[in-house]
Amino acid sequence: MVAITDFAVKEKTQWCTGCGDFAIVGALKQALNELGIPNYQTVISSGIGCSGKTPHYLNVYGFEGLHGRALPVASGIKLANNKLNVIAMGGDGDGYGIGAGHFIHIMRRNYDITYIVHNNQIYGLTTGQASPTTQVGMKTKTTPGGVIETQFNPIANAIIGGATFVGRAFAGDIVHLKTMMKEAISHRGFAHLDVLQPCVTFNKLNTYDFFTKRCYKLQNTDPAANHNVEDKFAALQKAMEDYNSNYEKIPVGIFYKVERPTYEDSIPWIKEKAIVEHDLKVDISLVYSDLE
Amino acid sequence: MEFVCKIAGQAGAGVMTTGRLMVKCFTRGGYHAIGYPEYPSLIRGGHNTVQVRISDKPIHGPVQTPDVVIALNKDAIFYHMNSMAPGGIIIYDHLIDASKFKLREDVRMHPLPLSKLTQEAGGTEQMKNTAALGAALAAVDYPFEVLVGIMKDEFKRKGEEVIKKNVDAAKAGYDHVKNNGIKSVKTIKPISDKRSIIITGNEAITLGSIKGGVKFYSAYPMTPASTILHYMIENEKAFHLVVKQTEDEIAAINYAIGASFAGARSMVGTSGGGFALMVEALGMAAISETPIVIALAQRVGPSTGMPTWTEQGDLRFALHASQGDFPRVVLAPGDVQECFFLSAKAHNLAEKYQIPVIIMSDKNLSESVFSTEKFDQAKVKIERGKLLDTHKHPLPVLPPMTRWKRYTITEDGVSDRVLPGTPNGVHVSTSYEHDETGFSSESFAMRTNQVQKRARKLKLLMGELEAPKVYGARNDQVEVTLIGWGSLKLSVFDALPLLEQKGIKVNFIHFTHLFPLDEEQVKKALSGSKKTIMIENNSTAQFAGVLRQYTGIEMDFHMLKYDGRPFFPEQIVEEIEKLKKADYKGDKEIVVVEKEDLEYYHPQRHGL
Repeated sequence: MVAITDFAVKEKTQWCTGCGDFAIVGALKQALNELGIPNYQTVISSGIGCSGKTPHYLNVYGFEGLHGRALPVASGIKLANNKLNVIAMGGDGDGYGIGAGHFIHIMRRNYDITYIVHNNQIYGLTTGQASPTTQVGMKTKTTPGGVIETQFNPIANAIIGGATFVGRAFAGDIVHLKTMMKEAISHRGFAHLDVLQPCVTFNKLNTYDFFTKRCYKLQNTDPAANHNVEDKFAALQKAMEDYNSNYEKIPVGIFYKVERPTYEDSIPWIKEKAIVEHDLKVDISLVYSDLE
Repeated sequence: MEFVCKIAGQAGAGVMTTGRLMVKCFTRGGYHAIGYPEYPSLIRGGHNTVQVRISDKPIHGPVQTPDVVIALNKDAIFYHMNSMAPGGIIIYDHLIDASKFKLREDVRMHPLPLSKLTQEAGGTEQMKNTAALGAALAAVDYPFEVLVGIMKDEFKRKGEEVIKKNVDAAKAGYDHVKNNGIKSVKTIKPISDKRSIIITGNEAITLGSIKGGVKFYSAYPMTPASTILHYMIENEKAFHLVVKQTEDEIAAINYAIGASFAGARSMVGTSGGGFALMVEALGMAAISETPIVIALAQRVGPSTGMPTWTEQGDLRFALHASQGDFPRVVLAPGDVQECFFLSAKAHNLAEKYQIPVIIMSDKNLSESVFSTEKFDQAKVKIERGKLLDTHKHPLPVLPPMTRWKRYTITEDGVSDRVLPGTPNGVHVSTSYEHDETGFSSESFAMRTNQVQKRARKLKLLMGELEAPKVYGARNDQVEVTLIGWGSLKLSVFDALPLLEQKGIKVNFIHFTHLFPLDEEQVKKALSGSKKTIMIENNSTAQFAGVLRQYTGIEMDFHMLKYDGRPFFPEQIVEEIEKLKKADYKGDKEIVVVEKEDLEYYHPQRHGL
């Protein structure tokens, strides 16, 4: 029997007061609890940055690795034990900057992994430099004249990159965030969930107030207004709405969701038993006929 | 009896395949055989060659002088004529115009209508080399049936038609030589029907790892390590492995560390440039105490260097890679048997001590093919150390809100380990310094304790190290002691009998366990030696420096070669003869260079 208390830890959560990451951890505990996944069956792989500390703040297995490398570690965990619930945590610097190459390639593979990105549009842990998702024009420590580089669009990249689930949530709406996490974790295949998560210390532009005013839900109560999540072009249009509307309208919810066989499905011998369960003792003499 | 044949032609002409078939042919006849490839970093246009050397006595690597050259293009005549033994023969396609070369009077030229023979036998132009292989076997009067047997096995998966075409092409070449009375200086008949195997260093590393329990392998293609990836994939299904080609080497090692954290014995393979990209994660494996095995197949550096040539220049790099202090093991097999057993051992060491283990080979060992005995599998035992069997003994219930202590400070430095998915074992592993539960910690005391805990593993590990092996007479009974590591064993082993013939008393001390070094063990192995020569395929005598650092022992001479080729035994003999004549006095640094400067990358530079 799974209980929400299974996920609690003693240690104090050390993010800035008001940080959007609190909502991410809180929603994740609830999501895992409501999905009924025992804490020992989940592994979180993270990189470096404020997002990287996530595995410390809830009681599941965790691997806090190197900056930008949450996805390859998560991939290795999944391939070695495909029975585990594997979640990777990244940030906009960690996942869309230094680790962007892995993001592009993991989507092609469609492992059954959930990737949650703490997107606060700034480098927090290194004290306020511009990130790949910092808005054009914003002044930061490293862009005193304002950002001149075009913003990286994670949603659009995920849609064209081959992710089979692409979603976005806002940390200011923890109920919706939890729902999105449950959807992403339940999705069989690579699920990318970008979480707009205000950095209260270094990002004075993209605040709670900023998002509360602009975010609207793709899956609302009016079925007529609903977005077709299997339509790639419609999904792409929605993915560019924030930029096209000069950030007046920011859609959250599921942009894109399709079924495709996972990478693991292509390996018959891990269907029943993960490779960690296989016997290590083998007889190599069967290769000799090729070498004689 | 010894026979050396060079097959050479343009890249893409099938030279490598032909070489491997020939090595198989003679191995099946009971001979010791090696195939040593040389090729530039090009797919088309450069010069490719493989040297097949066989003997009824044990042999280990290539030599300088071929008896037969099979020239598939005109360049091949130019490249290999000068190094041939007197009385040698060159078999070449009659369409090649050899008139522009100044031919040697003591080398016989045999033009063969290779294209025509192949076509008449129903083969494609690509199969010219197969006809040439048949021709070479006929020239030494080797029975054709052996080749037929090899081809049946080699192409069995490709079907009867492919077998027939290859056999027919080879037979055409074979018969043509027989009917025209072309003969080599040597006649070779099978001497035994004992079945040995042929295997490259990389294949032996792969098989040894599989026997050692590897379940996960990830890599990015890089010469000369790529064939580990190829062979792993070839065997993926048979042994239920998961093999992943990743987007880069950073991903490769992070995948492997993830897989290892989840409980699979995991490994990556790469060369220097790829290893450079893995360096950050190497330290992460160390601080998170996640077992990992890295096969590092060296090539000529720095940077892209000469990608397809051999060197031992990455030793210092392997020993020092990554920031901070942490224990690691560096192993260097010297032949394919050692490749097999040390790779199996590497996985035990990595898991028992929860550390990174690096296996160092180089292009010469990794890509050359060697006949060898089948591996004695009974010698390999899987030891998983302190990985708890939680199926048998479930963990006790953890108090609420607490984690399992994965990094308990222990006397031997190794902590109990459980795998994700284990009830009551929840913990975090991290690249940060951490407390006993894995939670990040910057406590001064905890930091000191964790560093010391990890370092203590080295002490325990010392018991697993093999002492350097002394080959030949005792140190005090020889005039000079050669010392080397890894693949240098191949060159020196072939030089030792030649030196003995010349009446020079030499022995050889070979290191396969490069780090950590047991000072007493090393001192014992080297004690009593009169003159010492460290022989290495690099320009700064890296291992000599390491030995001096850890034991205070200084070599009398460094014999070094760093032009991309391994030492040929003749070169070692020549240099030692010179030294002996000078009463073992002279410059400490002896640099060996080739007499004839050749360039495979740009045949144009030779006017070809």
